[in-house]
Amino acid sequence: MSITLVQGLMLALMAAICAIDKCTEAFFWFRPITTAFLTGVILGDVKLGLQCAAIAELAFTGLLTVGGTVPPDGLMAGIMTTVLAYLNPGLTPEAALSLAFPFALLMQWVGIIENTTFAGFMPIMEKQAYKADIKGLWRTLFTGVGITAIIYAIIVFLSTYAIQEPIRLFVENFPEWIVNGFTVAGGIMPAIGLAMLLRVMMTTENAPYLFIGFVVATFVEMGNVLPIAIVGAAIAYLGYLNAKKQAAQGGNEDDGI
Amino acid sequence: MTVSRNKLTKKDITDLAVLSIFEQCPFCYERMQAGGYTATLAPTLKKIYGDQTEELGNALGRNMTFFNTEPHMATFQQGLHAALEEAGEDRDVIMGIRDALFGPFAGLGDAVFWFTLLPVTATICCSLCSQGNVLGPILFLIIWFFLGIVPRIWLCHLGYNLGTSAVDVIRENAPAIAKAAGILGVLVVGALIPSYVGIAFNEELVLTGGVAVQAIFDSVIPNLLPLALVLFFYWLIKKKNIGSIQLIIAILIICIVASYFNIFAY
Repeated sequence: MSITLVQGLMLALMAAICAIDKCTEAFFWFRPITTAFLTGVILGDVKLGLQCAAIAELAFTGLLTVGGTVPPDGLMAGIMTTVLAYLNPGLTPEAALSLAFPFALLMQWVGIIENTTFAGFMPIMEKQAYKADIKGLWRTLFTGVGITAIIYAIIVFLSTYAIQEPIRLFVENFPEWIVNGFTVAGGIMPAIGLAMLLRVMMTTENAPYLFIGFVVATFVEMGNVLPIAIVGAAIAYLGYLNAKKQAAQGGNEDDGI
Repeated sequence: MTVSRNKLTKKDITDLAVLSIFEQCPFCYERMQAGGYTATLAPTLKKIYGDQTEELGNALGRNMTFFNTEPHMATFQQGLHAALEEAGEDRDVIMGIRDALFGPFAGLGDAVFWFTLLPVTATICCSLCSQGNVLGPILFLIIWFFLGIVPRIWLCHLGYNLGTSAVDVIRENAPAIAKAAGILGVLVVGALIPSYVGIAFNEELVLTGGVAVQAIFDSVIPNLLPLALVLFFYWLIKKKNIGSIQLIIAILIICIVASYFNIFAY
């Protein structure tokens, strides 16, 4: 079995479309169940596509984006699982999935590097926002989406049609410290965003709550920030009542004078 | 010169919900969804302010601070935001509410969409797939077409209507609400630090005597490094006026060099 040029191009186009949805996370076209199935359709082996879709999706359902981390890329894993099972008859979908891992890893790296470097778009958009340049804002937005789509198209085309083996070797021999550097930087960068938010938000009066939230989140195991937010809302309500009371008293004093 | 504000129609709110599909683009680690939030809200604010470019610019520019929520639920906040802008609320109060709510809504949205609806639909459709039924992926795509659009529209109208009906209450109590939003926002940011900011010393980095550097930090308080970083950046940005781009470039260089010497771990 081999993949024709037309099939390679169609896979690249499909990957680009799914990559747009990966940026929006709206319609779940980027899930392996979708990409593995569509790959099967393009390669003309729907049954294989379905088998690989089930295997790949179940493997990735546990891997969710939490906070700022990117899991090995499910979109790519779905495509490559079907492609590898198709190219190597006799390979089970499970084995194809594990062989697809280097490709998913490669796209994870690309995702981390994009999420790091796209920080450069923010000052541009900030300028456009203050100038009320709405067309400019959308142009920048689509530039980001377009870059992601094009990168996916190119890498999927190369991985499926052109140079599968060299890519696998590239991933296996890539100096890990470069990717690690980006990963660590990606872990640190939200600290800048949060610090900028605190610059407008934090006052000497509410600063203690930063430490309360931090300590509770550090020591209490929880799936997400919601429980703390509920406690926070309760405290905020008390603060609200206090502020109202003070305002009312302040008003009375003014009347007294 | 007084600022005039146009009324929004129901269709404007639905349009906002549909545009908001791109609320997460372009995502970056530093301010996460700030760009997408601003761009997708922009046409709605343009409807409100028309050709008053300066006022529109101020309304838009303030949004370019850190924002990150579950993308399907972002429309609730955008609808609320639109209602408050339309009513001409104080912008500090609007931003305070926005910054206080994204964390809780991220938690709620993750629980609903990513930890409930996705595993349930994926498991059902995967079992169809493994039976060789083409309906598996097709059903998945149909379900998520509706889940991708219907909650967005509904939540956007919900947020807008809530905002419209709360306008008077918010205006009367603006200082108290700003204060309360500040408390909630700062508390949630504090709570987000351990999960959003990931930095630690490499486990293999050991002092003479066999004590790991990270173990020393952990024994004081876990996540001390992330907290220290946020406070350090806060100080640099607020007191030293250092721009975020300079910080990002410095961090990238330091991290790649440090990574070569294996100092930090994610």
